[in-house]
Amino acid sequence: MKKKVGAVLLAGMMACAAAASVAIAGCGSARKPDFEMPEGGFDTSKDVTITFSHTMGAGLQNALNDAIAEFNLIYPNIHIEHNMEGNWGDLHKTISTKIQAGRQPNIAYCYADHVADYNVSEAVVPLDDFLPDGAYKDVKVSAIKLNEGGEQVLDENDNPVTEEVSFNLTQDEYDMYNPVCFKEGRNISGSEKLYAIPWAKSTEVMFYNKTFFDAHSERISVPTTWAEMEEVCKEIKAICTEENLSAVPFGYDSEENLFITQCEQRGTKYTAAEGDHFLFNNAENKAFVQTFKEWYDNDYFETGSLSGSDYTSTLFTEQKIFMSIGSTGGTTYNIDTSSGTIPFEVGIAPVPQMDSDPAHMKLLMQGPSVCIFKSDDPQKVMASWLFVKFCTTNLVYQHDVARNNGYMPVLKNEVMMTNPAYATWIDKANGKENLTALAVKVAMQYEDKYFTSPAFRGSAEAREQVGLLMQGVLTGNKTLDAAFNDAYTTCTNKYGK
Amino acid sequence: MEKTKQAKTPLTKMEKKIRAKAIFNRWKAWLYLLPALVILGLFTVWPIINTLRIAFLNDYNGLMEVGGATFSVGVKNFATVLKDPSFLTSLGNTMLLTVITVPVSTMLALLIAVALNSIKPLRRLLQTIFFLPYVTNSIAIGMVFMAMFNMVLLKGHEPISLGIINTIIEAFGGTRINWVNAGSSKVANMVVLIFYIVWNALPFKILVLLGGLQGVNKQYYDAARVDGASRWRIFWRITVPMLSPMIAYVVITGFIGGFKEYTSIVGIFGDRMGPVGADGSLNTMVGMIYDSLNDGSQGIASAAALILFVIIFIVTMINLYVSKKKVHY
Amino acid sequence: METDNMEKIETPSAAEEKSKGMAEKDIKKTARLQLVGKIFVQIGLYLFLTVMAVIVLFPFYWMLISSLKSVEEYNALRPTLWPEQFVWSNYSMIFDPTKTGGLDLGRMFLNTVYVGIVSTILSLIVTVLSAFALSRLEFRGKNALFAALLATMMIPGELFTVTNYITVVNWLNWGNTFAALIVPFLVSVFYIYLLRQNFLQIPNELYLAAKVDGTSDLKYLWRVMIPLAAPSLVSITILKMMGAWNSYIWPKLVTDDSTYQLITVGLRELGTRLSSNASSPNFPAQMAAVVLVTVPLLIVFIFFRKYIMRGVSRSGTKG
Repeated sequence: MKKKVGAVLLAGMMACAAAASVAIAGCGSARKPDFEMPEGGFDTSKDVTITFSHTMGAGLQNALNDAIAEFNLIYPNIHIEHNMEGNWGDLHKTISTKIQAGRQPNIAYCYADHVADYNVSEAVVPLDDFLPDGAYKDVKVSAIKLNEGGEQVLDENDNPVTEEVSFNLTQDEYDMYNPVCFKEGRNISGSEKLYAIPWAKSTEVMFYNKTFFDAHSERISVPTTWAEMEEVCKEIKAICTEENLSAVPFGYDSEENLFITQCEQRGTKYTAAEGDHFLFNNAENKAFVQTFKEWYDNDYFETGSLSGSDYTSTLFTEQKIFMSIGSTGGTTYNIDTSSGTIPFEVGIAPVPQMDSDPAHMKLLMQGPSVCIFKSDDPQKVMASWLFVKFCTTNLVYQHDVARNNGYMPVLKNEVMMTNPAYATWIDKANGKENLTALAVKVAMQYEDKYFTSPAFRGSAEAREQVGLLMQGVLTGNKTLDAAFNDAYTTCTNKYGK
Repeated sequence: MEKTKQAKTPLTKMEKKIRAKAIFNRWKAWLYLLPALVILGLFTVWPIINTLRIAFLNDYNGLMEVGGATFSVGVKNFATVLKDPSFLTSLGNTMLLTVITVPVSTMLALLIAVALNSIKPLRRLLQTIFFLPYVTNSIAIGMVFMAMFNMVLLKGHEPISLGIINTIIEAFGGTRINWVNAGSSKVANMVVLIFYIVWNALPFKILVLLGGLQGVNKQYYDAARVDGASRWRIFWRITVPMLSPMIAYVVITGFIGGFKEYTSIVGIFGDRMGPVGADGSLNTMVGMIYDSLNDGSQGIASAAALILFVIIFIVTMINLYVSKKKVHY
Repeated sequence: METDNMEKIETPSAAEEKSKGMAEKDIKKTARLQLVGKIFVQIGLYLFLTVMAVIVLFPFYWMLISSLKSVEEYNALRPTLWPEQFVWSNYSMIFDPTKTGGLDLGRMFLNTVYVGIVSTILSLIVTVLSAFALSRLEFRGKNALFAALLATMMIPGELFTVTNYITVVNWLNWGNTFAALIVPFLVSVFYIYLLRQNFLQIPNELYLAAKVDGTSDLKYLWRVMIPLAAPSLVSITILKMMGAWNSYIWPKLVTDDSTYQLITVGLRELGTRLSSNASSPNFPAQMAAVVLVTVPLLIVFIFFRKYIMRGVSRSGTKG
């Protein structure tokens, strides 16, 4: 009886599945048409509502609301509904689901990895046509003029005065950005097109206990190279023994960032956007992993996950480590906000390099980008672009973002410094009550030293796997070869070479 | 037939009525089931059918489909799942966890439910306490486990924090155990997981069994007490048999849920599905499925789900077969 | 598996039987022994229940103390069992629109109550009808249907998300409606099965007698089955209401208009909104919000407890 039930059930389901293939295939593609500039360009007379999905906390949302208010003075017909979709994982899942139903938002926060995923559906609008020499460079939009104080300029009848502005980025605007911003979004899955541009940036910096370093200035100084780091670690260990301190010299938040940055600094292979993707399984990489394994065995450093604490910053504030390498986006963690002060002075330095030649300097760039999705209504795509352009070139907004999170503005330092509020803020940067400014100040000094790793379908997996392989080796659970092989096989099993 | 019809006209009406009623009775059950079946059909059966379709489309990815890609029909997804080195680990972990946690949580829940039912003072208070886990947010449960088992270690030094359980163990003179941190043994990991899963499963099972106990006719107890039967005997000879439909329910749904175990592992070990340095060592079938889903490999996820389905279906049929013999309705 | 265990544990009862046989010789002695035994059993019961209660209560306790810790204390390397200092501002912060970015928690709470009540009532009706058919009525294919229903529970629900989203939003056009939050989850085989088991506990003779009396099915269901199965129905009510409490992705997917959003979305977002960094929510404040939402739930719970336990006083298992 039961057998029969099972058989009938299975047969029935098979039949339905066949029907489903036909039905779903027939229900029409959710794919949206490519963007094409409509006759007459952007229509400022009709209301248009666009949606923006992101992961912003309250501080960033407040800043965004301010930006929207100012934007609406210029384009009163564009309504922006923005939604926090949870954390990055939630956002990625939600947008993937929505794309499959053809219900994607107009703008979304993204990592380049996500765009590589979304783009297999060809849902993302390439932004090349919107650049200074792009296809629509001669298109004008009538925008309401604002004066210096950010108020609408009115004519004698109290009507707002409009001006014709370029729809595309002008060359002047383009030159405001840090050029690295156009690199990551252009190389997605080896494509020549630009699919995403940064909204704000972050990088890794080294937070150090300045009070501790000052107290032992005759013996240690802040390391700028990994060779110096090794010496400093030895010395700190000696100091700890003498002073009976229970501490480890340094902490690295993210094993994956450690691996990726090492590859870049040493010029060894990690991944490639085109051809064979997964190149990290090589002897040079094994050599540096082995070095870090020895350091770990010598008690030179800790990572967040190995120590069982979420972030090394907690170890840092409790003075269990004296240097903590982590994201500028997490700067606020290195401040004891309950008392508003830090128990010691914090210094911020760039991540150690292979040598002291500034030309060889390599720093990892991370942080949220945005992409614009295709839509049935070209007006929405245009409105989305106008908003993205507005926010990323707006000195006030970029300053607000930096202040809130320790994110770096996407604009060049010299451009940002023309905003007096930003200049004052950076000027007051210090390692006690203005740490966020200090992080941004340090990070902005090296704006031409940034690199990003290639994004493609599977790049997120590669990043995860190299982190896991480091953990496997450091804990001694896996041999060097086994760890590399496991990571490589996992990547290639899922995504091919 | 015609003869009788003509001869006994008054009966025809009745006959018609009876016949109509017979037809109604035959379809009555389906009428009662109609609302449930319509909704299930739309929101459960339809997605399952779609899952089936996707499972047989090689390397299916929903985003690619939207982009206009087509997929060949075949069993490649199934082959990928079966060849995956983590498949056997995941299956083994899933089975082990289910086989241990279902009986343990059922027994404990049964004992608690019966105990709650047979005390007088403080009964209300204790009953309320055992319902509290329902209103406890799942985030809080994850947090508390970290506080209990996680150690914060500093390379080359004494741990900064031992976790509540190890603190208790050391207070009683025992040696601390590495439960969940880097280098912890699989046995220790499993103990934590079993503890977590049983803990999570208890409130629901207590609720169901306590509810079921109210359906037990008190006359049986009165009769048993007149006979002077011991408490233990009453428990095994009356309570358990009378409660057997509910016990069967708790066990069968427990097995189905157990095979879908996933959240507890993520709750303690995160997406790594294992202690640091031993990622994937505690992965389960559903863990594999979600992992594929997150990679956009819906075809592989669907194939894995169907393989899991076949396993659960067989186990459930065995369970139903056994319960048919043992359950007293 | 489970029955094996039962039989193994059953062996002690044989020993007890023996001792009982001997005790029969001296009734007075037995009575005294029984009294002592009874006291021991009672102590054992209370000890067992207390230990289990402490274990079960611990997360609830943790939720309470976490809601009063500062973010730093919460993140500290050594977890504290009692807040070093009570941060009541975690609670007041929730009602500060400048900090929550205007998150309308009150609205979300009312939405949740509305969705909870409507879906519970509809779900109970559907569940009762189905469970009745599956337990009391005879029809062809009943076993097959039951097996098929159970089979639907065996596929992880996450696989349904994309298909259901397309169904709800594109076919039914239920984007930003309460229907999208209620209807897809109205039928749960889990509950139908539970109620079916409970209905099966009710002697069939009652039904046959009612049939002879000419009582209609619905009347019988209403007058006899439902009152007898009240504890299970209350359990389902509770589970259904709680069900809405932990889902996040679905409500977020189908509602982006805050008019329809549920408290779950609010609670999850609150932690992130009150935190300076999106990757690490302000858990103490989030826990404070959870505690606030829990209070009315707890009251409902305590109210329902009475109904679950109704008839306990009549049952003979006590003392």
